[in-house]
Amino acid sequence: MLQFAQFALTRAAMAIVTLLLVSFIVFSLMELVPGNCAERYLAFKNTQGAKISIEDIQAEEKRLGLDRPFVIRWGSWVGNVFFKGEFGDSCILRLNINQLLGEKVWISLGICFASLFMAYLIAVPVGILSAAVDSPAANNALRLVSYLGLALPNFLLALMIMLFSTVVFGDSLTGLFSKEFRDAAWSVDRVLDFLSRAWLPIFILGWSATAFALQTVRALMADEIGKLYVTAAKARGIFGGRLLWRYPAKHALGPIINSLGFDLNRVFNELPIVAVILTLTEMGALLLESLARSNDQQLAGAIIFMLTASIVFLNFVTDLLLALLDPRVRHSVMGG
Amino acid sequence: MADQSVSPELSAEALAEQKRKEAYFTASQMQLVWARFKRNKTAMFAACVLFALVGMGLIAPFLSPYDPTIAGRDKDYQNGAPQIPMFCDQNGCSLRPFLHGLTRTRSAKTNFRWVTEINPDERRYVHFFVEGWEYSYFAYDIDLPGEALDFRIPGFTFDTHLFGVDSGGIHIFGTDDGGKDIFGRTLHAISTSLAVGTIGVFISFVLALIIGGVSGFFGGRIDGFFQMITDAIRTVPPIPLFMALAAFIPDEWSSETRFFFISIILGFINWPTLARRVRTHLLTERNQEYVLAARLCGASPAHIIARHLLPSFTSYIIVDLVISFPYMVLSETALSFIGLGLKDPVNSLGVMLQNVTKSDVLLNYQWYFIPVFFFIALVLAFVFVGDGLRDAADPYSDRKS
Repeated sequence: MLQFAQFALTRAAMAIVTLLLVSFIVFSLMELVPGNCAERYLAFKNTQGAKISIEDIQAEEKRLGLDRPFVIRWGSWVGNVFFKGEFGDSCILRLNINQLLGEKVWISLGICFASLFMAYLIAVPVGILSAAVDSPAANNALRLVSYLGLALPNFLLALMIMLFSTVVFGDSLTGLFSKEFRDAAWSVDRVLDFLSRAWLPIFILGWSATAFALQTVRALMADEIGKLYVTAAKARGIFGGRLLWRYPAKHALGPIINSLGFDLNRVFNELPIVAVILTLTEMGALLLESLARSNDQQLAGAIIFMLTASIVFLNFVTDLLLALLDPRVRHSVMGG
Repeated sequence: MADQSVSPELSAEALAEQKRKEAYFTASQMQLVWARFKRNKTAMFAACVLFALVGMGLIAPFLSPYDPTIAGRDKDYQNGAPQIPMFCDQNGCSLRPFLHGLTRTRSAKTNFRWVTEINPDERRYVHFFVEGWEYSYFAYDIDLPGEALDFRIPGFTFDTHLFGVDSGGIHIFGTDDGGKDIFGRTLHAISTSLAVGTIGVFISFVLALIIGGVSGFFGGRIDGFFQMITDAIRTVPPIPLFMALAAFIPDEWSSETRFFFISIILGFINWPTLARRVRTHLLTERNQEYVLAARLCGASPAHIIARHLLPSFTSYIIVDLVISFPYMVLSETALSFIGLGLKDPVNSLGVMLQNVTKSDVLLNYQWYFIPVFFFIALVLAFVFVGDGLRDAADPYSDRKS
């Protein structure tokens, strides 16, 4: 137990270091955007008819603390994020980012995790079975599906489904809520309405993740099935599902759990594009909007950081899970 | 010699066998990889498709009868359907393929819109190796921000094209809403996307070689430090990162500058995967006996790296490059698709895909989808070839099969 606690603490420390590094990357990236918040705010005032001088900009920079050196600003940003969970105000919308994102974060994370769940729900049983059957036809069919998962990027799939349904059903299937529920409070009806529309983004985002997970599961299982302990188990008279599940599947599952974080990365990757095509009102679409149209560096930085933080968090959780399931992992990290 | 006279058939066979074995044992790594690759039918087919597509991209100006930019637009045939050359019609057959004539009319009957009608009695014959718009190779007019960096290379100019018609236009994939030839645009898009991918792969390759090389060769603390940074970069989802970088491009930049910037971004983000592979190869190889032997012989580290370590994994690196290529093309496509990458006057696959997003395209102008198939074929071909190469480069794949 002590060993496990030690392992968990080491992993947590590593996760925090990664987060700090990521926050530094994201923050410096946002610094590279031409112009800063003060200029952007005063540019808005300028359109309202106010006369703006250099002094005004400098005063505004002082007010926002933008005249401090880069490292100190990064420190205060990271401090606010880590200790208070505050991302500051959006440059363009002049709103608190936490308020602005609010439920959108949970909707986005929900959609992404649901698609990940779907991917593994399909990939694990199908992958295990196809490895066990080992027929060339099934093998080739699976390969083709996996390759299509790569070659038919999600945005193209989304587009095709959307265009198809527009033509056939007259409904583009876009958006996350029907008109009457768009601004309503959460209720059972709203959840049902959400689910009736969210399946499409979930399916589209899960599509390539499924294809990849399928190939991973199959390859891992195929490796394990040929090993001697499986033959030994067979010799002892264990067969069928019991054999597969108790022996090779258990071993193959470790690397699969490990690849969850990577798959979440893949899903997040496609999120903004799919969100734009399906006109979803969630975080990904907001990210694209803040980058492509309004140059809102605060908001964009906050969103990218949140996405990455959830991947780091998932990696941490899967590491712990793996260590619980497999003592070898614990030993390898602690150095025996 | 005496054996041969007794049973020449057997010895000829044995000789052939001996020769085959000798060839196998003395073959270089590249020859072995090639021999294994040739046996993989799917990968060979994909390689043929890939070569065809790349070749088409390279000679795109020669194959396309019209300039794919606004200069080559056919203003009498906007949103025009594909025109397939035929050999026979109701007036008989001809050996030279032809198209029917077109007349455009506009009247109260057509609601004052231009309507194109096919005139089946008029024939426009297709000719080969015709003169058309001028194009040049190796001509660069680089306009980077800053005066000092501008320079111009003249190159070679041609004006011969594979095919054309005597009057009017021939658009075998139809035209878009500006009257630009989709066939020409698609071919040019392939070469643009491949060029972006090549520059991106090259940049990420150099970065990966330096970072992964240093990390792997020295190991220890330096390795730990570089690994931490590489891992941190790998956790950030790449497309949001691409988007953030691409958002810095000012709107007033020319399309060529945009093009270079996008390729550089792709290169700067995709290196971690490659760097990791380089590092792993180096870490395993540097402890091998042959490295130790070279060291004992008094070879310098530079000599060991250049003569022993690099050749030991060039084939793996080539495989990795091929595998990372489709990701580059996909990233470029995704970026252009959301409007942050290359923009319309440039012909890239992402720009072509962006054009199919309108719903009236599916209803009325289905030929806009033709580039989509080229795109899928290109990515699939790359993936199959990459997979085939990976299997071929794996020395244990013989045993498996």
